[in-house]
This record gives sequence, structure tokens and C-alpha cells, in this order.
Amino acid sequence: MRAFELFSAKDSRDAVALLAKHSITSKVKVIAGGTDLLADLKFSAHSPNVVVDISRAQELKSILVTDDGLRIGSLVTHSQIMRSPVIQEMFPALVDAAHTIGAVQTRNLGTLGGNLVTAVPSMDSGPTLMALEAIVSIEGTEGRREVPLTDFFLGPRKTVLKADEILAEIIIPKQNLGKPTHFLKFGLRKGQALALVNSAASFWVDWDKHTFVAPRIGLGAVAPKVIRATQAEAFLEGRKITPEVMAEAGLIAATDAKPISDFRASAGYRKNLVAVLTKRALEGAYALAQAKR
Amino acid sequence: MVTVTLTVNGETRTAIVGGETTLLRMLRDNLNLTGSKLGCDVGDCGACTVIVDGKPVNSCLMLAAQAEGRDVETIEGLASMDRVHPIQKAFEECASLQCGFCGPGVIMSAKALLDEIPNPTIPQIRDALGGNLCRCTGYVKMIEAILLASRNMRGEAVQSIR
Repeated sequence: MRAFELFSAKDSRDAVALLAKHSITSKVKVIAGGTDLLADLKFSAHSPNVVVDISRAQELKSILVTDDGLRIGSLVTHSQIMRSPVIQEMFPALVDAAHTIGAVQTRNLGTLGGNLVTAVPSMDSGPTLMALEAIVSIEGTEGRREVPLTDFFLGPRKTVLKADEILAEIIIPKQNLGKPTHFLKFGLRKGQALALVNSAASFWVDWDKHTFVAPRIGLGAVAPKVIRATQAEAFLEGRKITPEVMAEAGLIAATDAKPISDFRASAGYRKNLVAVLTKRALEGAYALAQAKR
Repeated sequence: MVTVTLTVNGETRTAIVGGETTLLRMLRDNLNLTGSKLGCDVGDCGACTVIVDGKPVNSCLMLAAQAEGRDVETIEGLASMDRVHPIQKAFEECASLQCGFCGPGVIMSAKALLDEIPNPTIPQIRDALGGNLCRCTGYVKMIEAILLASRNMRGEAVQSIR
């Protein structure tokens, strides 16, 4: 790894001040858990001169239910998500998604915020958060601003974050707290595999009519960024919940997906996976809805 | 350069390193603790696994400066001059290692698991070893050894080395 100067931020305000100061003259990177950044820098020709370590910003490490919804600090690790009683109760899908990331050692270091900021299309925390209509709170020198997660990603490894900004919190809005959600990932191995496709489905049930209410589907690794399967969502809205409808929604989601062929899988194979995983994610969310009823 | 002071295997240690220095490099090159291995250097193989504040991590993916003030356990902390740790003993008895390169990382992962879950199930053991690649053994004898160590450590209430 090439040499760089390291600055350790005391808190998030200090972090954005350091970023503002050094980004004028230097190429600056932020380190949190380091699991993506350091692995990249060891092979990168474009090394930063300055790295700002935000891993000591305690105020970005909490998981809180507030009037706005569930607020997860960007520095919360994947292991902490798996162990959080609040998240286990409200969103087992987030626990499942965290569990599919890397291995124990990387989950103990890697953060939810880092997974989002790295913005690789195959990220495992993206689809569930997308299906739950998460909002991200971004901190800069001017203060905080909120952006829907759908608008946060611009493309592979590109987000709306400016040079002097950090991702501070991930907010699942109040109306979605406890919304039945299911996440599935398909990788080539059970452990330490990148997703060929991942899919998360979330909906409420109108038990009188037995129909889908506010169905949301997030897909990963099938487009330049994590996407919502909007055609499949529109198809499901208000429709009777049946196995055939869920299978049909999977096929429609496959047309929402725009995957590429690469050394891991062909585009056609990924589309087939989207259909199957989305159907199963819908079934999983329905099972959870029944259990919670 | 940054000055890093941390606790390693119960002792306070200090080193002056470049900002880009990983915890693994500092342990090996500055503190002469070469038990933790440099394998892939990108967090895939787990040969560099150490325990930081009770949690197993890839020391190749943590900057040394990020370990400032923290409590680090490495493979060197397990055995003393006159006895090996029960996990090491069990690995020996079960012949769980062949070339041995992955051993320090595997054993630290096993220690972190047994510290947290004294009586783990086989799926829990497999999950705990999911970040440690071994190309020799096929893992079966490692899992046997961790089960054996678990039994021995619960049978002998006080087994702490330190």
C-alpha cells in the first residue's frame, strides 16, 4: 500500500471539517471499517494522499427507534446489526442480509454505511434497505441533508456524496417499521461470495381482501446500481396474494433487471435468478406477515 | 507517522508507524509477533485473524492507528512456556493442521467463538471458520478439535493462560 497521511476524526463534525480542509489540496479517502477501502488501496494505482479515519465517531454507532423511524448509525457493523434485538424483531431481513456479507472477521469490521458508500451493485445491504424505502442522512460542513437511498447511488462506486461529506445515518421511515420483508442472496458459495443476484421483497397485507399493500422489491447485482423492481411492484399493488401472482411478479422483476454478463454469470442466468429469488422473497415476506398477524 | 499504543496479549506496546500501516504489519514488523500470517492481505483467507476487544477481525484490513488504545489478542498470547492452550492441545490431539499456515488464524477464530459461545453447535463452528481458508485439511478435524476443546474447557472451569 502506498504511503498516505492519516487523520483520525474525533466525531462526525471533526470528520467533515478534516475532509473540507484536505480535499482542497489532496486526494482524500474516508476509512470506517476498512474492509473495502484497504483491500482496494492495496491494488490501486490511484492512492489517496490523505485518509480520514472516522471509526471513532461514537455518535454514528447507535441503533435507535425515534419519531422518524429506525435510525442506524453509518458506523454500525454488520455484526452489530445481526445482534441488535430491535433489528432482529423488526427486520429479520436486515439480519439475514448482514449475515451473508463476508465472514465473521469482515462483519466485525465492516460497517453498514461503508457497504452503501462503496456502492458496488452487488452490495448485500442495499436491496433490503431499498425495499424499505430507506433514507440516508448525509453530514457536511453545512450540516445534515437527507436523500432517499434510491437517489443516493449514481452508478458503480459512485454516490451523491461530495468531497466534504460523510454518510451519517440510515433511516427506515416510521411507516415501514415492522413491515414484513424477506431477503435472499444467490452466490456461488455459501461463504464469502459476492451475490450473482440478491433480492428483497417487502409488503403489508390487507387481510380482509387478502391483497398486497405497498409492495416494494429491491434488486442487487442486476444493474449499475441497486434498483427497485418498479414494474413488478405496480403489478402486485392491490392484487390477491396467491402463489401464481408471486411467480408472475418474479418474471416481471426479471424484466426490471438489466444485468450484464461477466465471469461470474451470464445476463440470462441472472434474469432467471431474479425471477426465482423474487418469487421466494415474496413468499418469505408473506410467511413472516402470517407469523406476525 | 503515527504513534500507536495498544494492549497486545495483556502488555502495553507502542510503535511508530506510517499511517498506511496495517495492524498486521505492525504486529509482524514492529512488534516481532510473526504468528499472525500475511496471506491474501485483502480479508479473504483469515490467516491474519486476531481478536480486537473480544471480536475476531482481519488484521490486514485494520489500520494500526485504528487499534490505538484497544485490546489485541494474537496467537502468541495463547501458550505459555510450560503449557499450550486447550484449543491448541485439541488441534494437536485431533491432528487438525497439516501445513499449518492457516493455523494461527483458525485457532484465534476458534478462541473468539469459544469465548462467546462455550458450547457451540457444528453450524456455529462452521460459521465461525467461514473466514478462514484451509487448503489442506477439509476442516473436518478442525471442527472435531473445536468440539473437543469446548468439552475440555467447560470441564476444567479455570483454564485461563493469563
